[in-house]
Amino acid sequence: MHHRPVIQRICLGLSLAGLVVAGYLTVAHYTSPSLLVCSDRGMIDCAQVTSSPQSTVAGIPVAVLGVLFFLGMSFLNLSPMWRSQSMAIKGLRLGLVWVGICFVLWLMYAELFLVHAICLYCSLVHVITFLLFVLVLFNNGEPKRASTPADASLRRA
Amino acid sequence: MAKRKSGTTVGRKPSRSPSGRPPAAAPKGNRAQRRRAVRAGYRGRPRWLPWVSVGVVAVAAVGIVVAGLVHKTKPASRSAAAPASVTRAVQNVPASVQERVGVPSGLSAPIRIAGDHPPLLSGKLPQVLYVGAEFCPFCAAERWAMAVALSRFGSFKGLGVTESSTSDVYPGTKTLTFFGSKYTSPYIVFTPVETTTNQRKGGAYVPLQTPTAAEQRIVNEFDVAPYTSQSGGIPFIDFGNKVLVTGPTYSPQVLQGLTWQQIAARLSDPTSTVAQNVDGSANLLTAAICDATNGRPSSVCDSPVIHAARARFTSPG
Repeated sequence: MHHRPVIQRICLGLSLAGLVVAGYLTVAHYTSPSLLVCSDRGMIDCAQVTSSPQSTVAGIPVAVLGVLFFLGMSFLNLSPMWRSQSMAIKGLRLGLVWVGICFVLWLMYAELFLVHAICLYCSLVHVITFLLFVLVLFNNGEPKRASTPADASLRRA
Repeated sequence: MAKRKSGTTVGRKPSRSPSGRPPAAAPKGNRAQRRRAVRAGYRGRPRWLPWVSVGVVAVAAVGIVVAGLVHKTKPASRSAAAPASVTRAVQNVPASVQERVGVPSGLSAPIRIAGDHPPLLSGKLPQVLYVGAEFCPFCAAERWAMAVALSRFGSFKGLGVTESSTSDVYPGTKTLTFFGSKYTSPYIVFTPVETTTNQRKGGAYVPLQTPTAAEQRIVNEFDVAPYTSQSGGIPFIDFGNKVLVTGPTYSPQVLQGLTWQQIAARLSDPTSTVAQNVDGSANLLTAAICDATNGRPSSVCDSPVIHAARARFTSPG
């Protein structure tokens, strides 16, 4: 099936780009925040964000959660996954982008209200997640339901 | 394979049923009508739902950004940026004063790390890791000496002023805060971690910064016996995995009752108790930094007072 292949590739590309950025943040977390090539003028301060209490959730670095998210999205945006009409895959893709975008909103709140600093790499991840959210929302389609007589009629039409 | 306008696809090309008649359950009417009818049953999701979802998320994101930019209040601990006179005095203690103060007795000397450990680096530069908290009066005292020592290798921007907890020992000790400051040096990377503010909320001090996993590993490895009798105590300073400070170098009592400006002004008076303790401690810390940088720069590290300070380093245990 050739279901909007360009958009599917864009989704895959965005997922891989997000994976790279989240991977960079993960490496910086486990080595030194000063590895982040980032301005420290005004509110822009990556190290302050990535070393804040909000940089971990239940002891897991947010950067690692980002890597896991984009790994999942990369898998779900592979061409065979888009071709699949499986309810589980479509539902998982849709659910994951919703989890991702809700988490992004929380992180934006944390940066601006709790940490009082903005991490450019985190913002890049936020934009990527938002674009993925929009593309998946409009192109994910519906999970295929059990075949009905009407479906059969459509296939025959 | 055929593609439907709705974006979903049909499994195979349209064809008639084997009997040549439409199935009994199929809607009557022309093909377009049938498709619309089927689509209505096939798609349970209203077509406007994605638009509304994206709209809600976009409005929420814009709202957070706008409100965040308007609401610029810093954490409660950061009362103000350090006055220029304080910053200037801390970063410009004359070398002659440092030499005259020397290393008075009564100061706690840094500890050499035993055995072979990989150097603590950030990129190619040795790293100085400081872990403290803004409520902590011993950290409050140590920050003055740290700022004086570090200023010999680089410069600070954005130093703030705060005070230790008013409900702890040596209450309200006036100090600097490294939180939100920037330190640049061609010789070292300084990584300060202030774990909490000086404000209590729900019986605990409000968290400020969390050590990274790598930083926590260093604390777990070196902020324990035999380097300290109080595991996990602060202040904790690791100078490139060569030398440690695992407690206050001098007593915060020295600073009691003094304002930031008074402390700063006395740093350049070698006869003052403040200079004896702060500048004397700074000499010890400078020697520790010199160990991390392998003696760079020589203009700082080859000073007789720094050699004398290095001789005061102790061994663990």
